[in-house]
Amino acid sequence: MLALSGIRKTFNPGTVNEVRALQGVDLTIEPGSFVIVLGMNGSGKSTLLNAVAGSFYVDEGTIRLANHDVTKWPEHKRAKLIGRVFQNPFSGTAPTMSIAENFALASRRGHARGFGWALSPHLMKPLQERIATLKMGLEGRLDNAIGSLSGGQRQALTLLMATWLKPELLLLDEHTAALDPKSADQVIQLSDEVIQRDKLTTLMVTHSMQQAVSLGDRIIMMHRGRVLHDIRGAEKKRLRPEDLLDRFDEVRRRELLDESAAAMLNELYI
Amino acid sequence: MTLLIGALIIGLILSLLALGVLVSFRIFSMPDITTDGSITLGASIAAVLLVKGVNPVFATAAGAMGGAAAGAVTGILHTKFKINSLLAGILVMTALYSVNLHVMGRSNVPLMQATTVASYGENLGEWFAGGKTIHIFGWPVGAADAAVLVLALLFTALAGAAMFAFFRTQLGTAMRATGDNPQMIRALGANVELNIILGLALSNGFVALAGALLAQYQGFADAQMGIGMVVWGLASVIIGEALTGTRSLGLTIVGTIMGSVLFRLLVAIALRWGLNPNDLKLITALFVFAALVLPGFIDRFKPRPTSAT
Repeated sequence: MLALSGIRKTFNPGTVNEVRALQGVDLTIEPGSFVIVLGMNGSGKSTLLNAVAGSFYVDEGTIRLANHDVTKWPEHKRAKLIGRVFQNPFSGTAPTMSIAENFALASRRGHARGFGWALSPHLMKPLQERIATLKMGLEGRLDNAIGSLSGGQRQALTLLMATWLKPELLLLDEHTAALDPKSADQVIQLSDEVIQRDKLTTLMVTHSMQQAVSLGDRIIMMHRGRVLHDIRGAEKKRLRPEDLLDRFDEVRRRELLDESAAAMLNELYI
Repeated sequence: MTLLIGALIIGLILSLLALGVLVSFRIFSMPDITTDGSITLGASIAAVLLVKGVNPVFATAAGAMGGAAAGAVTGILHTKFKINSLLAGILVMTALYSVNLHVMGRSNVPLMQATTVASYGENLGEWFAGGKTIHIFGWPVGAADAAVLVLALLFTALAGAAMFAFFRTQLGTAMRATGDNPQMIRALGANVELNIILGLALSNGFVALAGALLAQYQGFADAQMGIGMVVWGLASVIIGEALTGTRSLGLTIVGTIMGSVLFRLLVAIALRWGLNPNDLKLITALFVFAALVLPGFIDRFKPRPTSAT
Protein backbone atom coordinates (compact mmCIF):
# COMPACT_ATOMS: atom_id res chain seq x y z
CA MET A 1 0.00 0.00 0.00
CA LEU A 2 1.13 3.52 -0.77
CA ALA A 3 0.03 6.39 1.46
CA LEU A 4 0.94 10.01 0.77
CA SER A 5 -0.10 12.71 3.20
CA GLY A 6 0.35 16.45 2.83
CA ILE A 7 3.09 16.22 0.19
CA ARG A 8 4.52 19.60 -0.80
CA LYS A 9 7.46 20.37 -3.03
CA THR A 10 8.72 23.72 -4.32
CA PHE A 11 11.61 23.88 -6.76
CA ASN A 12 14.02 26.85 -6.65
CA PRO A 13 12.24 28.46 -3.68
CA GLY A 14 12.72 32.21 -3.29
CA THR A 15 13.92 32.77 -6.87
CA VAL A 16 12.21 33.96 -10.04
CA ASN A 17 12.17 30.34 -11.19
CA GLU A 18 10.16 29.21 -8.18
CA VAL A 19 7.81 26.36 -9.10
CA ARG A 20 5.32 25.04 -6.59
CA ALA A 21 5.11 21.62 -8.14
CA LEU A 22 3.19 19.78 -5.41
CA GLN A 23 0.88 21.71 -3.12
CA GLY A 24 -0.49 19.27 -0.61
CA VAL A 25 -1.16 15.87 -2.12
CA ASP A 26 -3.04 13.31 0.00
CA LEU A 27 -3.46 9.95 -1.62
CA THR A 28 -3.90 6.36 -0.51
CA ILE A 29 -3.53 3.51 -2.94
CA GLU A 30 -4.68 0.05 -1.93
CA PRO A 31 -2.55 -3.00 -2.67
CA GLY A 32 -3.19 -4.37 -6.15
CA SER A 33 -4.78 -1.16 -7.39
CA PHE A 34 -3.85 0.11 -10.87
CA VAL A 35 -4.07 3.89 -10.85
CA ILE A 36 -3.88 6.12 -13.92
CA VAL A 37 -2.55 9.63 -13.31
CA LEU A 38 -3.78 12.31 -15.72
CA GLY A 39 -3.16 16.03 -15.93
CA MET A 40 -2.00 18.80 -18.23
CA ASN A 41 1.66 19.73 -18.65
CA GLY A 42 3.00 21.20 -15.43
CA SER A 43 0.19 19.76 -13.30
CA GLY A 44 2.67 17.80 -11.20
CA LYS A 45 2.08 14.25 -12.46
CA SER A 46 5.67 13.35 -13.09
CA THR A 47 6.81 15.28 -10.02
CA LEU A 48 4.46 13.13 -7.97
CA LEU A 49 5.99 9.93 -9.35
CA ASN A 50 9.50 11.23 -8.82
CA ALA A 51 8.62 12.22 -5.24
CA VAL A 52 7.45 8.66 -4.57
CA ALA A 53 10.52 7.18 -6.26
CA GLY A 54 12.82 9.44 -4.23
CA SER A 55 14.44 11.44 -7.04
CA PHE A 56 14.25 14.31 -4.53
CA TYR A 57 13.09 14.73 -0.95
CA VAL A 58 9.72 16.40 -0.37
CA ASP A 59 9.53 19.66 1.61
CA GLU A 60 6.57 18.56 3.71
CA GLY A 61 4.47 15.48 4.24
CA THR A 62 5.13 11.79 4.62
CA ILE A 63 5.34 8.89 2.20
CA ARG A 64 4.56 5.41 3.49
CA LEU A 65 5.04 2.37 1.31
CA ALA A 66 4.45 -1.27 2.35
CA ASN A 67 4.58 -0.43 6.09
CA HIS A 68 7.79 1.60 5.80
CA ASP A 69 8.05 5.34 6.26
CA VAL A 70 10.21 5.99 3.18
CA THR A 71 10.08 9.79 3.34
CA LYS A 72 13.78 10.05 4.23
CA TRP A 73 14.97 7.01 2.28
CA PRO A 74 17.38 7.77 -0.58
CA GLU A 75 16.34 6.78 -4.09
CA HIS A 76 18.48 3.64 -4.33
CA LYS A 77 17.08 2.34 -1.04
CA ARG A 78 13.48 2.89 -2.14
CA ALA A 79 14.30 0.94 -5.28
CA LYS A 80 14.07 -2.17 -3.12
CA LEU A 81 10.30 -1.63 -3.06
CA ILE A 82 9.75 0.15 -6.38
CA GLY A 83 10.04 -0.86 -10.03
CA ARG A 84 10.22 1.99 -12.56
CA VAL A 85 9.86 2.52 -16.29
CA PHE A 86 10.78 5.96 -17.59
CA GLN A 87 9.39 7.99 -20.47
CA ASN A 88 12.69 7.91 -22.34
CA PRO A 89 13.33 4.36 -23.64
CA PHE A 90 17.07 4.99 -23.21
CA SER A 91 16.76 5.71 -19.49
CA GLY A 92 15.88 2.26 -18.24
CA THR A 93 18.68 0.14 -19.66
CA ALA A 94 22.48 0.21 -19.78
CA PRO A 95 23.15 0.50 -23.55
CA THR A 96 26.65 -0.95 -23.84
CA MET A 97 25.81 -3.98 -21.71
CA SER A 98 24.12 -7.12 -22.98
CA ILE A 99 20.44 -7.99 -22.52
CA ALA A 100 21.44 -10.76 -20.12
CA GLU A 101 23.65 -8.43 -18.07
CA ASN A 102 20.88 -5.85 -17.83
CA PHE A 103 18.56 -8.51 -16.44
CA ALA A 104 21.29 -9.73 -14.11
CA LEU A 105 21.40 -6.20 -12.68
CA ALA A 106 17.61 -6.13 -12.37
CA SER A 107 17.61 -9.50 -10.62
CA ARG A 108 19.65 -7.93 -7.77
CA ARG A 109 17.30 -4.99 -7.22
CA GLY A 110 17.17 -4.36 -3.47
CA HIS A 111 19.78 -7.04 -2.74
CA ALA A 112 23.45 -6.68 -1.84
CA ARG A 113 25.79 -6.94 -4.81
CA GLY A 114 28.83 -9.04 -4.05
CA PHE A 115 31.49 -11.05 -5.83
CA GLY A 116 29.20 -13.76 -7.18
CA TRP A 117 29.05 -14.02 -10.98
CA ALA A 118 26.43 -11.67 -12.39
CA LEU A 119 25.30 -14.12 -15.07
CA SER A 120 24.38 -17.10 -12.95
CA PRO A 121 22.94 -20.21 -14.65
CA HIS A 122 19.87 -19.85 -12.39
CA LEU A 123 19.07 -16.64 -14.17
CA MET A 124 19.64 -17.62 -17.79
CA LYS A 125 16.99 -20.29 -18.24
CA PRO A 126 13.98 -18.41 -16.82
CA LEU A 127 15.25 -15.29 -18.60
CA GLN A 128 15.28 -17.00 -21.97
CA GLU A 129 11.77 -18.35 -21.43
CA ARG A 130 10.39 -15.02 -20.26
CA ILE A 131 11.92 -13.09 -23.15
CA ALA A 132 10.61 -15.66 -25.62
CA THR A 133 7.06 -14.79 -24.49
CA LEU A 134 7.62 -11.26 -25.86
CA LYS A 135 7.70 -12.75 -29.36
CA MET A 136 10.24 -10.13 -30.41
CA GLY A 137 12.87 -12.69 -31.40
CA LEU A 138 15.17 -11.46 -28.65
CA GLU A 139 15.62 -14.79 -26.85
CA GLY A 140 18.49 -15.72 -29.18
CA ARG A 141 20.18 -12.34 -28.77
CA LEU A 142 20.76 -12.24 -25.03
CA ASP A 143 24.45 -11.44 -25.54
CA ASN A 144 23.75 -8.45 -27.79
CA ALA A 145 24.22 -4.96 -26.43
CA ILE A 146 20.84 -3.57 -25.45
CA GLY A 147 21.72 -0.26 -27.12
CA SER A 148 21.34 -1.95 -30.52
CA LEU A 149 17.60 -2.53 -29.99
CA SER A 150 14.68 -0.30 -30.93
CA GLY A 151 12.96 1.99 -28.45
CA GLY A 152 9.91 -0.28 -28.23
CA GLN A 153 12.01 -3.37 -27.58
CA ARG A 154 14.04 -1.55 -24.96
CA GLN A 155 10.91 -0.29 -23.23
CA ALA A 156 9.39 -3.79 -23.18
CA LEU A 157 12.61 -5.15 -21.68
CA THR A 158 12.73 -2.31 -19.14
CA LEU A 159 9.23 -3.27 -18.04
CA LEU A 160 10.26 -6.91 -17.60
CA MET A 161 13.35 -5.79 -15.69
CA ALA A 162 11.33 -3.53 -13.38
CA THR A 163 8.99 -6.40 -12.53
CA TRP A 164 11.53 -9.27 -12.59
CA LEU A 165 11.47 -9.18 -8.79
CA LYS A 166 7.90 -8.35 -7.79
CA PRO A 167 7.89 -4.71 -6.66
CA GLU A 168 5.57 -3.35 -3.96
CA LEU A 169 4.86 -0.50 -6.34
CA LEU A 170 5.30 -0.10 -10.08
CA LEU A 171 5.81 3.43 -11.44
CA LEU A 172 5.18 3.97 -15.16
CA ASP A 173 5.97 7.54 -16.21
CA GLU A 174 4.45 8.07 -19.70
CA HIS A 175 6.40 4.98 -20.68
CA THR A 176 4.84 4.77 -24.15
CA ALA A 177 4.87 8.49 -25.03
CA ALA A 178 8.14 8.28 -26.98
CA LEU A 179 7.19 5.17 -28.98
CA ASP A 180 5.54 4.73 -32.36
CA PRO A 181 1.84 3.73 -32.12
CA LYS A 182 2.45 0.05 -32.82
CA SER A 183 5.21 -0.34 -30.25
CA ALA A 184 3.20 1.74 -27.79
CA ASP A 185 0.29 -0.70 -28.14
CA GLN A 186 2.59 -3.66 -27.60
CA VAL A 187 4.14 -2.15 -24.49
CA ILE A 188 0.74 -1.16 -23.07
CA GLN A 189 -0.58 -4.67 -23.63
CA LEU A 190 2.48 -6.15 -21.97
CA SER A 191 2.15 -3.74 -19.03
CA ASP A 192 -1.48 -4.68 -18.49
CA GLU A 193 -0.61 -8.39 -18.68
CA VAL A 194 2.19 -8.16 -16.13
CA ILE A 195 0.18 -5.94 -13.79
CA GLN A 196 -2.85 -8.25 -13.88
CA ARG A 197 -0.82 -11.42 -13.53
CA ASP A 198 1.24 -10.28 -10.55
CA LYS A 199 -1.51 -8.01 -9.11
CA LEU A 200 0.97 -5.15 -8.97
CA THR A 201 0.14 -1.91 -7.23
CA THR A 202 0.71 0.56 -10.06
CA LEU A 203 0.86 4.29 -10.70
CA MET A 204 0.86 5.08 -14.42
CA VAL A 205 1.13 8.58 -15.87
CA THR A 206 -0.28 8.99 -19.36
CA HIS A 207 -1.51 11.60 -21.81
CA SER A 208 -3.67 9.15 -23.70
CA MET A 209 -7.39 9.35 -22.84
CA GLN A 210 -7.83 5.99 -24.56
CA GLN A 211 -5.35 4.32 -22.24
CA ALA A 212 -6.88 6.11 -19.25
CA VAL A 213 -10.37 4.74 -19.81
CA SER A 214 -9.41 1.25 -20.95
CA LEU A 215 -6.78 0.50 -18.31
CA GLY A 216 -6.70 0.44 -14.53
CA ASP A 217 -9.35 0.69 -11.85
CA ARG A 218 -8.92 4.28 -10.77
CA ILE A 219 -8.09 7.65 -12.35
CA ILE A 220 -6.49 10.59 -10.59
CA MET A 221 -6.54 13.94 -12.34
CA MET A 222 -3.86 16.34 -11.15
CA HIS A 223 -4.06 20.11 -11.47
CA ARG A 224 -1.64 22.70 -10.14
CA GLY A 225 0.07 20.28 -7.82
CA ARG A 226 -3.12 18.91 -6.28
CA VAL A 227 -5.43 15.98 -6.89
CA LEU A 228 -8.47 17.55 -8.63
CA HIS A 229 -10.57 14.48 -9.49
CA ASP A 230 -10.45 10.98 -8.12
CA ILE A 231 -12.56 8.59 -10.19
CA ARG A 232 -12.95 4.97 -9.22
CA GLY A 233 -15.22 1.97 -8.97
CA ALA A 234 -18.32 1.91 -11.13
CA GLU A 235 -17.80 5.50 -12.25
CA LYS A 236 -14.38 4.60 -13.64
CA LYS A 237 -15.87 1.61 -15.52
CA ARG A 238 -18.56 3.77 -17.14
CA LEU A 239 -16.12 6.50 -18.08
CA ARG A 240 -15.70 7.37 -21.78
CA PRO A 241 -12.87 9.43 -23.29
CA GLU A 242 -15.35 12.28 -23.94
CA ASP A 243 -16.13 12.51 -20.22
CA LEU A 244 -12.47 12.95 -19.48
CA LEU A 245 -12.14 15.59 -22.20
CA ASP A 246 -15.06 17.46 -20.67
CA ARG A 247 -13.30 17.50 -17.36
CA PHE A 248 -10.16 18.81 -19.02
CA ASP A 249 -12.19 21.54 -20.76
CA GLU A 250 -13.67 22.51 -17.45
CA VAL A 251 -10.16 22.88 -16.01
CA ARG A 252 -9.12 24.96 -19.01
CA ARG A 253 -12.12 27.27 -18.70
CA ARG A 254 -11.39 27.83 -15.05
CA GLU A 255 -7.79 28.56 -15.98
CA LEU A 256 -8.85 31.18 -18.56
CA LEU A 257 -11.21 32.72 -16.07
CA ASP A 258 -8.36 33.02 -13.61
CA GLU A 259 -6.22 34.73 -16.21
CA SER A 260 -8.90 37.22 -17.26
CA ALA A 261 -9.62 37.97 -13.63
CA ALA A 262 -5.94 38.59 -13.03
CA ALA A 263 -5.78 40.88 -16.08
CA MET A 264 -8.75 42.86 -14.80
CA LEU A 265 -7.22 43.23 -11.36
CA ASN A 266 -3.99 44.33 -13.00
CA GLU A 267 -5.74 47.06 -14.94
CA LEU A 268 -7.66 48.26 -11.95
CA TYR A 269 -4.92 48.38 -9.38
CA ILE A 270 -1.58 48.71 -11.13
CA MET B 1 68.17 -6.70 -27.29
CA THR B 2 68.53 -5.42 -23.74
CA LEU B 3 66.90 -2.21 -24.91
CA LEU B 4 63.99 -4.13 -26.41
CA ILE B 5 63.47 -6.20 -23.26
CA GLY B 6 63.61 -3.07 -21.14
CA ALA B 7 60.97 -1.41 -23.27
CA LEU B 8 58.75 -4.48 -23.09
CA ILE B 9 59.04 -4.70 -19.31
CA ILE B 10 58.24 -1.02 -18.80
CA GLY B 11 55.38 -1.32 -21.28
CA LEU B 12 53.96 -4.24 -19.32
CA ILE B 13 54.33 -2.47 -15.99
CA LEU B 14 52.68 0.65 -17.37
CA SER B 15 49.86 -1.44 -18.81
CA LEU B 16 48.62 -1.69 -15.21
CA LEU B 17 48.44 2.10 -15.25
CA ALA B 18 46.62 1.91 -18.58
CA LEU B 19 44.13 -0.58 -17.09
CA GLY B 20 43.53 1.87 -14.26
CA VAL B 21 42.91 4.65 -16.77
CA LEU B 22 40.61 2.30 -18.71
CA VAL B 23 38.44 1.99 -15.60
CA SER B 24 38.15 5.72 -14.93
CA PHE B 25 38.11 6.98 -18.53
CA ARG B 26 36.10 4.32 -20.36
CA ILE B 27 33.98 2.62 -17.69
CA PHE B 28 33.14 5.75 -15.70
CA SER B 29 33.73 8.28 -18.52
CA MET B 30 35.82 10.40 -16.18
CA PRO B 31 39.29 11.53 -17.21
CA ASP B 32 40.78 11.12 -13.73
CA ILE B 33 43.99 13.09 -13.35
CA THR B 34 44.51 11.72 -9.83
CA THR B 35 46.51 9.17 -11.83
CA ASP B 36 49.48 11.56 -12.06
CA GLY B 37 49.68 11.72 -8.28
CA SER B 38 48.75 8.18 -7.38
CA ILE B 39 51.42 6.53 -9.56
CA THR B 40 54.02 8.54 -7.66
CA LEU B 41 52.31 7.75 -4.36
CA GLY B 42 52.49 4.03 -5.09
CA ALA B 43 56.17 4.38 -6.03
CA SER B 44 57.09 6.43 -2.96
CA ILE B 45 55.29 4.23 -0.43
CA ALA B 46 56.87 1.11 -1.91
CA ALA B 47 60.32 2.74 -2.10
CA VAL B 48 60.32 4.00 1.48
CA LEU B 49 59.19 0.62 2.82
CA LEU B 50 61.78 -1.21 0.73
CA VAL B 51 64.59 0.98 2.01
CA LYS B 52 63.45 0.05 5.54
CA GLY B 53 63.83 -3.61 4.56
CA VAL B 54 60.15 -4.52 4.35
CA ASN B 55 59.21 -7.55 2.26
CA PRO B 56 58.91 -6.38 -1.40
CA VAL B 57 55.53 -8.04 -2.00
CA PHE B 58 54.11 -6.33 1.06
CA ALA B 59 55.69 -2.99 0.08
CA THR B 60 54.17 -3.24 -3.41
CA ALA B 61 50.74 -4.05 -1.99
CA ALA B 62 51.01 -1.12 0.42
CA GLY B 63 51.80 1.20 -2.50
CA ALA B 64 48.71 -0.02 -4.35
CA MET B 65 46.54 0.51 -1.27
CA GLY B 66 47.85 4.07 -0.97
CA GLY B 67 46.76 4.76 -4.54
CA ALA B 68 43.36 3.22 -3.89
CA ALA B 69 42.92 5.54 -0.90
CA ALA B 70 43.82 8.56 -3.06
CA GLY B 71 41.28 7.46 -5.68
CA ALA B 72 38.63 7.09 -2.98
CA VAL B 73 39.32 10.67 -1.86
CA THR B 74 38.78 11.93 -5.41
CA GLY B 75 35.55 9.92 -5.55
CA ILE B 76 34.33 11.41 -2.27
CA LEU B 77 35.15 14.97 -3.41
CA HIS B 78 33.23 14.32 -6.62
CA THR B 79 30.16 12.53 -5.24
CA LYS B 80 29.67 13.80 -1.69
CA PHE B 81 30.84 17.38 -2.24
CA LYS B 82 29.57 17.64 -5.83
CA ILE B 83 32.88 18.91 -7.20
CA ASN B 84 33.35 18.49 -10.95
CA SER B 85 35.22 15.22 -11.52
CA LEU B 86 38.10 16.85 -13.37
CA LEU B 87 38.57 19.47 -10.63
CA ALA B 88 38.33 16.82 -7.89
CA GLY B 89 41.16 14.95 -9.62
CA ILE B 90 43.25 18.10 -9.96
CA LEU B 91 42.81 18.91 -6.26
CA VAL B 92 43.87 15.45 -5.14
CA MET B 93 46.75 15.32 -7.62
CA THR B 94 48.06 18.67 -6.34
CA ALA B 95 47.68 17.62 -2.72
CA LEU B 96 49.45 14.33 -3.46
CA TYR B 97 52.53 16.20 -4.65
CA SER B 98 53.14 17.38 -1.06
CA VAL B 99 52.06 14.03 0.38
CA ASN B 100 54.56 12.22 -1.82
CA LEU B 101 57.39 14.51 -0.74
CA HIS B 102 56.47 13.86 2.89
CA VAL B 103 56.32 10.11 2.36
CA MET B 104 59.75 10.07 0.74
CA GLY B 105 61.26 12.82 2.92
CA ARG B 106 63.04 14.19 -0.17
CA SER B 107 62.38 14.29 -3.89
CA ASN B 108 64.14 11.04 -4.84
CA VAL B 109 64.61 7.67 -3.13
CA PRO B 110 67.16 5.33 -4.78
CA LEU B 111 66.67 1.59 -4.36
CA MET B 112 70.12 0.39 -5.34
CA GLN B 113 70.78 -1.71 -2.23
CA ALA B 114 67.23 -2.70 -1.36
CA THR B 115 65.75 -6.11 -2.14
CA THR B 116 62.84 -5.62 -4.59
CA VAL B 117 60.47 -7.82 -6.56
CA ALA B 118 62.77 -7.11 -9.50
CA SER B 119 65.73 -8.61 -7.64
CA TYR B 120 63.57 -11.66 -6.87
CA GLY B 121 63.03 -12.04 -10.61
CA GLU B 122 66.69 -11.53 -11.40
CA ASN B 123 67.80 -14.13 -8.86
CA LEU B 124 65.17 -16.54 -10.13
CA GLY B 125 66.34 -16.06 -13.70
CA GLU B 126 70.01 -16.64 -12.90
CA TRP B 127 69.16 -19.72 -10.85
CA PHE B 128 66.93 -21.07 -13.61
CA ALA B 129 69.42 -20.43 -16.43
CA GLY B 130 72.38 -21.44 -14.29
CA GLY B 131 74.38 -18.45 -15.53
CA LYS B 132 74.34 -14.76 -16.32
CA THR B 133 73.23 -15.02 -19.91
CA ILE B 134 70.99 -17.21 -22.01
CA HIS B 135 70.54 -17.28 -25.77
CA ILE B 136 67.20 -16.60 -27.43
CA PHE B 137 67.23 -17.13 -31.20
CA GLY B 138 71.00 -16.85 -30.97
CA TRP B 139 70.93 -13.46 -29.24
CA PRO B 140 72.69 -13.28 -25.90
CA VAL B 141 70.23 -12.07 -23.29
CA GLY B 142 70.73 -11.38 -19.61
CA ALA B 143 69.03 -14.24 -17.78
CA ALA B 144 67.92 -11.77 -15.12
CA ASP B 145 66.25 -9.51 -17.70
CA ALA B 146 64.49 -12.41 -19.37
CA ALA B 147 63.14 -13.68 -16.04
CA VAL B 148 61.85 -10.23 -15.11
CA LEU B 149 60.16 -9.99 -18.51
CA VAL B 150 58.45 -13.36 -18.07
CA LEU B 151 57.34 -12.44 -14.56
CA ALA B 152 56.01 -9.06 -15.75
CA LEU B 153 54.09 -10.79 -18.53
CA LEU B 154 52.58 -13.34 -16.15
CA PHE B 155 51.69 -10.75 -13.56
CA THR B 156 50.10 -8.41 -16.11
CA ALA B 157 48.08 -11.25 -17.59
CA LEU B 158 46.94 -12.19 -14.11
CA ALA B 159 45.99 -8.60 -13.27
CA GLY B 160 44.08 -8.24 -16.55
CA ALA B 161 42.24 -11.51 -15.94
CA ALA B 162 41.40 -10.43 -12.40
CA MET B 163 39.99 -7.15 -13.66
CA PHE B 164 37.97 -8.96 -16.33
CA ALA B 165 36.58 -11.36 -13.73
CA PHE B 166 35.74 -8.54 -11.36
CA PHE B 167 33.72 -6.68 -13.96
CA ARG B 168 31.60 -9.77 -14.48
CA THR B 169 30.59 -10.08 -10.83
CA GLN B 170 27.41 -8.57 -9.43
CA LEU B 171 29.35 -5.63 -8.00
CA GLY B 172 31.45 -5.21 -11.15
CA THR B 173 28.48 -5.20 -13.52
CA ALA B 174 26.76 -2.65 -11.27
CA MET B 175 29.87 -0.48 -11.58
CA ARG B 176 29.84 -0.73 -15.36
CA ALA B 177 26.17 0.18 -15.38
CA THR B 178 26.99 3.17 -13.15
CA GLY B 179 29.22 4.54 -15.89
CA ASP B 180 26.78 3.53 -18.61
CA ASN B 181 23.47 4.79 -17.19
CA PRO B 182 23.46 6.04 -13.58
CA GLN B 183 19.71 6.72 -13.62
CA MET B 184 18.97 3.11 -14.52
CA ILE B 185 21.23 1.51 -11.95
CA ARG B 186 19.97 3.84 -9.21
CA ALA B 187 16.41 2.77 -10.05
CA LEU B 188 17.63 -0.82 -9.66
CA GLY B 189 18.82 -0.11 -6.16
CA ALA B 190 22.57 0.42 -6.52
CA ASN B 191 24.33 3.19 -4.63
CA VAL B 192 25.77 5.21 -7.52
CA GLU B 193 27.95 7.44 -5.31
CA LEU B 194 29.52 4.46 -3.55
CA ASN B 195 30.13 2.71 -6.87
CA ILE B 196 31.97 5.75 -8.23
CA ILE B 197 34.13 5.97 -5.10
CA LEU B 198 34.96 2.25 -5.28
CA GLY B 199 35.61 2.49 -9.02
CA LEU B 200 38.07 5.36 -8.66
CA ALA B 201 39.75 3.49 -5.79
CA LEU B 202 40.13 0.45 -8.05
CA SER B 203 41.44 2.58 -10.90
CA ASN B 204 44.04 4.36 -8.79
CA GLY B 205 44.94 1.13 -7.02
CA PHE B 206 46.02 -0.29 -10.39
CA VAL B 207 47.85 2.95 -11.20
CA ALA B 208 49.73 2.95 -7.90
CA LEU B 209 50.57 -0.74 -8.37
CA ALA B 210 52.18 0.23 -11.66
CA GLY B 211 54.08 2.99 -9.82
CA ALA B 212 55.32 0.63 -7.11
CA LEU B 213 56.56 -1.89 -9.68
CA LEU B 214 58.07 0.77 -11.93
CA ALA B 215 60.08 2.20 -9.01
CA GLN B 216 61.47 -1.24 -8.25
CA TYR B 217 62.34 -1.95 -11.87
CA GLN B 218 64.03 1.35 -12.58
CA GLY B 219 65.63 1.46 -9.13
CA PHE B 220 64.24 4.71 -7.74
CA ALA B 221 61.11 6.65 -6.87
CA ASP B 222 60.97 10.29 -7.89
CA ALA B 223 58.53 13.08 -7.06
CA GLN B 224 58.34 14.04 -10.74
CA MET B 225 57.73 10.58 -12.17
CA GLY B 226 53.93 10.99 -12.40
CA ILE B 227 53.83 14.02 -14.66
CA GLY B 228 51.77 13.33 -17.77
CA MET B 229 51.10 9.71 -16.87
CA VAL B 230 47.32 10.01 -17.30
CA VAL B 231 47.88 11.06 -20.91
CA TRP B 232 50.21 8.11 -21.33
CA GLY B 233 47.42 5.86 -20.04
CA LEU B 234 44.90 7.44 -22.40
CA ALA B 235 47.23 6.88 -25.34
CA SER B 236 47.56 3.20 -24.41
CA VAL B 237 43.79 2.79 -24.07
CA ILE B 238 43.19 4.45 -27.44
CA ILE B 239 45.83 2.35 -29.21
CA GLY B 240 44.32 -0.72 -27.58
CA GLU B 241 40.87 0.16 -28.88
CA ALA B 242 42.30 0.54 -32.37
CA LEU B 243 43.92 -2.90 -32.06
CA THR B 244 41.07 -4.96 -30.64
CA GLY B 245 37.96 -2.79 -30.86
CA THR B 246 35.54 -2.18 -28.01
CA ARG B 247 33.11 -4.99 -28.66
CA SER B 248 33.73 -6.86 -25.47
CA LEU B 249 35.29 -6.03 -22.15
CA GLY B 250 37.80 -8.87 -22.40
CA LEU B 251 39.09 -7.68 -25.76
CA THR B 252 39.31 -4.11 -24.48
CA ILE B 253 41.43 -5.23 -21.54
CA VAL B 254 43.75 -7.29 -23.76
CA GLY B 255 43.93 -4.37 -26.18
CA THR B 256 44.87 -1.93 -23.45
CA ILE B 257 47.78 -4.13 -22.34
CA MET B 258 48.91 -4.51 -25.94
CA GLY B 259 48.48 -0.79 -26.50
CA SER B 260 50.70 0.08 -23.59
CA VAL B 261 53.47 -2.28 -24.71
CA LEU B 262 53.25 -1.13 -28.32
CA PHE B 263 53.31 2.53 -27.33
CA ARG B 264 56.37 1.98 -25.13
CA LEU B 265 58.13 0.16 -27.98
CA LEU B 266 57.39 2.98 -30.41
CA VAL B 267 58.72 5.50 -27.92
CA ALA B 268 61.88 3.45 -27.33
CA ILE B 269 62.49 3.25 -31.09
CA ALA B 270 61.83 6.96 -31.55
CA LEU B 271 64.22 7.83 -28.73
CA ARG B 272 66.90 5.59 -30.24
CA TRP B 273 66.46 7.32 -33.58
CA GLY B 274 67.27 10.58 -31.88
CA LEU B 275 63.96 11.97 -30.67
CA ASN B 276 64.64 14.61 -28.04
CA PRO B 277 63.33 13.14 -24.75
CA ASN B 278 62.07 16.61 -23.82
CA ASP B 279 59.55 16.39 -26.65
CA LEU B 280 58.08 13.13 -25.43
CA LYS B 281 55.16 14.56 -23.44
CA LEU B 282 54.31 17.01 -26.22
CA ILE B 283 54.19 14.21 -28.76
CA THR B 284 52.11 11.98 -26.44
CA ALA B 285 49.62 14.81 -25.92
CA LEU B 286 49.43 15.51 -29.67
CA PHE B 287 48.91 11.82 -30.33
CA VAL B 288 45.97 11.62 -27.88
CA PHE B 289 44.54 14.83 -29.32
CA ALA B 290 44.68 13.39 -32.82
CA ALA B 291 43.20 10.08 -31.70
CA LEU B 292 40.28 11.87 -30.02
CA VAL B 293 39.55 14.28 -32.88
CA LEU B 294 40.39 12.39 -36.05
CA PRO B 295 37.56 9.81 -36.03
CA GLY B 296 34.90 12.56 -35.97
CA PHE B 297 36.87 14.57 -38.53
CA ILE B 298 37.07 11.65 -40.95
CA ASP B 299 33.34 10.95 -40.55
CA ARG B 300 32.57 14.47 -41.72
CA PHE B 301 34.29 13.90 -45.05
CA LYS B 302 32.86 10.46 -45.65
CA PRO B 303 30.18 10.35 -48.35
CA ARG B 304 26.85 10.06 -46.63
CA PRO B 305 24.08 7.71 -47.71
CA THR B 306 21.57 9.87 -49.51
CA SER B 307 18.49 8.36 -47.95
CA ALA B 308 17.79 6.14 -45.01
CA THR B 309 16.08 3.11 -46.43
